[in-house]
Amino acid sequence: MRELPELFAVGVKARSLGYLFVAGASLGVLTLILPHDEGVRELQLYVLAALAVAIAALVYVQAERVSEWQLHLVLAAGTTILSFANYYAGESTLYPLLYTWTALYAFYFFSLRLALAHMSYIGVAYAVVLAIQDPTSPAIRWLLAVGTPLIAGLLISRMLDRLRAEQLQTAEGARELRQSEARTRIVLDNSPDAFVTLDRDGIIRSWNVAAERMFGWPASEAIGKPYRALVTPPELRDRHDERRSALVENDDPLATEHFEVELLRRDGSRFPAEATVSKVDVRGEILLSGFIRDISDSRRRQEEREALMREQAARAEAERVAELVSGMQLLVDAALAHRTLDDILSDLVVRVRGVLQADAASIHLVEEGRLVLRAASDDDPAAGPFTGEEFAGRVVEAREPLFDTGPGEASSLIGVPLLAEGAITGVLVVCLAAPRHFASDDINVLRLAADRVALAIDHARVYEREHRIAETLQRSLLPERLPRLPGLDVAARYLPAAAEAEVGGDWYDVLSVPGGGVGLVMGDVAGKGLAAASMVGRLRSALRAYALEGHAPARVLEQLNRLIWTEADESQMATLIYVIVDPAEGQVRWVNAGHPPPLLVDGQQPPHYLEGGSSVPLGVLPFPDFEEVTVPMDPGNTVVLYTDGLVERPGEHIDAGMGRLVAVLRDAPTEPDQLCDHVLRALVPDGGAPDDVALLTLRTVPMGDRFRVDFPATPEALSSMRSLLRRWLRHVGAGEQEIAEVVTACGEAATNAIEHAGAGGETPFEVGGQLSGRDMQITIRDNGAWRAPREGDQGRGLSLMRALMDTVEVTPTPEGTTVRLERTLEP
Amino acid sequence: MTELIELDIEEHGEVVVAHLKGELDIAGASGLGDSINDAVPTSARGLVVDCSNLDFIDSSGIAMLFGLARRLGSRRQELRVVAREGKPVARVLQIVEFDRAAPIHETLDEALAQTN
Repeated sequence: MRELPELFAVGVKARSLGYLFVAGASLGVLTLILPHDEGVRELQLYVLAALAVAIAALVYVQAERVSEWQLHLVLAAGTTILSFANYYAGESTLYPLLYTWTALYAFYFFSLRLALAHMSYIGVAYAVVLAIQDPTSPAIRWLLAVGTPLIAGLLISRMLDRLRAEQLQTAEGARELRQSEARTRIVLDNSPDAFVTLDRDGIIRSWNVAAERMFGWPASEAIGKPYRALVTPPELRDRHDERRSALVENDDPLATEHFEVELLRRDGSRFPAEATVSKVDVRGEILLSGFIRDISDSRRRQEEREALMREQAARAEAERVAELVSGMQLLVDAALAHRTLDDILSDLVVRVRGVLQADAASIHLVEEGRLVLRAASDDDPAAGPFTGEEFAGRVVEAREPLFDTGPGEASSLIGVPLLAEGAITGVLVVCLAAPRHFASDDINVLRLAADRVALAIDHARVYEREHRIAETLQRSLLPERLPRLPGLDVAARYLPAAAEAEVGGDWYDVLSVPGGGVGLVMGDVAGKGLAAASMVGRLRSALRAYALEGHAPARVLEQLNRLIWTEADESQMATLIYVIVDPAEGQVRWVNAGHPPPLLVDGQQPPHYLEGGSSVPLGVLPFPDFEEVTVPMDPGNTVVLYTDGLVERPGEHIDAGMGRLVAVLRDAPTEPDQLCDHVLRALVPDGGAPDDVALLTLRTVPMGDRFRVDFPATPEALSSMRSLLRRWLRHVGAGEQEIAEVVTACGEAATNAIEHAGAGGETPFEVGGQLSGRDMQITIRDNGAWRAPREGDQGRGLSLMRALMDTVEVTPTPEGTTVRLERTLEP
Repeated sequence: MTELIELDIEEHGEVVVAHLKGELDIAGASGLGDSINDAVPTSARGLVVDCSNLDFIDSSGIAMLFGLARRLGSRRQELRVVAREGKPVARVLQIVEFDRAAPIHETLDEALAQTN
């Protein structure tokens, strides 16, 4: 069912409802003013009247904003108020009549369905009032009061519906008419196409706006004139007449013809056009109506499109060249990204092949007067095995680019000499599986590539030489063999960076220092290559010199700082840590110039960093303060020194790496060599570290109730042996006096052992000690031949031993001599 | 290599004083005796070897001291040794009965006073 249009706006409905309420309230008030029955309750009725007026005012004010359903609520409220008024007014016949107003309003403004709903509510409300008020004869009054508005309302509703339907029809008719007219006008006037109607004789009958624009003739002048004279160029007029008569005489009533034609403007200029002409029969009269389109624009667009395509092709070519040039840069970059010339060459051939879109490429270098194939890209299976060796030889002789047919049926070769400073260093050969026409541009590109390759190779050769020198120099600066230190186990590792082409400035050193300690050095000179390596060399020898003179660590670093500050260029600086382990004193002391802190692993608590004693790197300030820090170090403890390459990873804070090192050391074996391997395995990635890594560890031999240490058979070893013995004796609780005496006795035995070993001192002697209860036994064993102590000076050794120890037992054998010294320590 | 022994020569009037510091073993003793001997002119009345700051001495050191005593004696010059009682050096000197070769004093002042 079709929805009928609303006759009234909601504002009209609302205001009408307001009037209805005011009218009702006024009528109610009027009945109270006029003489009336006793039973009327005035106060309540006044209140209801006031309420009705208030609602009326609200609805009136909000008329434009209320919704349809709010109006229904208000009307229902009106019915309710009226019912209360009816009740309070008692026997009055006036109030029931007011229901009629309400009902008629509903029928007038609302749809029939909703009006009937209101009617039902009115009926129920009134029935309730009647039931309370007048139980005797309610039916008649109810029927009168409710039946009247119902019948009247139904009549109104029906009348209004017809009105609505009529209005709907007119409205739609008008709209359709307007739309149709507008459409036609729009189509004809705004169409870019001219719309022209001719009669059968070719006289113009209609001429739209587009036709005016297109030809320059206004409709007023065009209509009535022959079309052929007005717009057809003279040479085409006969053709026009033929077409026209053919169409007019065509039996098909809807005959249409489509053609391209040249037409004349008013100013005499010509333009290409496309026309669609149809025969139209209008009430017996034959007309020809045609749409004409100016196609000069589309011709231009076609031309523009073609030009654009040409331009795009040119741009693609330009981009290809740009890509080639950046590809050339890749060729140079290759030289910087690799370690060896072979790496660079094999990378270069792959890149050349890619850049030139060739199927294969190879590089041949002149080495010792002969041409040697150094690198070839993967062979294209279609081209067969490809190296182009013989061809490359001819290129060297020709000293200029050559072409030839390739190994495959249809393939071709180009060879370009590689020139460095005028000399041919090699040949770049490129193979194309499909024959291609080579333009001079291609040769230029190839020449360009060859130049870059030659440059890269030259660069790499120079670089490789420098790298070799720097590496050799640096290796020579690291201790070739760590000193064997009695009672101390030392291990060190040095790993050059994985991808780094240049040698770094990491270094370490181990040296004996005056007073029985061992100096450990770990340093990192800023920079790379030869400059860094030579700086390492100077620092190393300076440090050794100062340390062996017996300077305190802080003083040693001051000297080194002065060396860098005064002699090196401004950018030179170095971090360095100098640690002295003194096993006899049971302590470790250090000075740190900006280096990552060393670690102490003592097995009791977790491995911890030796913080403190840290100052600026060397070469940063003219007079930095270096502070020496000392902490106790027990036998069996390990000191770990390293360079930042071990703990630093790109994109990560160094603290993370230092935390990792602690975690790794927690589970590490205590033997220094194994410890180093363990740490490197855990911390250095499989492909190698991004930076150089140096690691140096020292462990003091753990001492319990027994020990055994080898010493070199040289006089210098005596001091170390005494340190070790003092440490052990202190460890087992000997008194100072006892320590001095036992050390003296052992010194005599050791001196004998050294003399037995002879001048070379190649074979070490062994010192062992053990304690059971308070009984101490020390054994000194050598591998030389026992010599009877000469009476006199040297013979005093034996008597000293006898005087200082409880038991002295010398056991000479052909393999060597064993001296056993025993003494019961004081409790 | 590490120098364990330090020698410091001083002249007190006609007496030469040789201060020894550190540890004296076979590595340091060779040549040390000659150095000290050469520092004593024939005009000097005598030599005092001050071992107050010597922490260690072994038989090579003792041999050097006996050698000095012999050489000085042949020149009729006196040798005196300072070693504090209870220290390792004094203990060793005592064991080898060095006082039979030269007198041992508690302090340098005592040795110098006795030289006259």
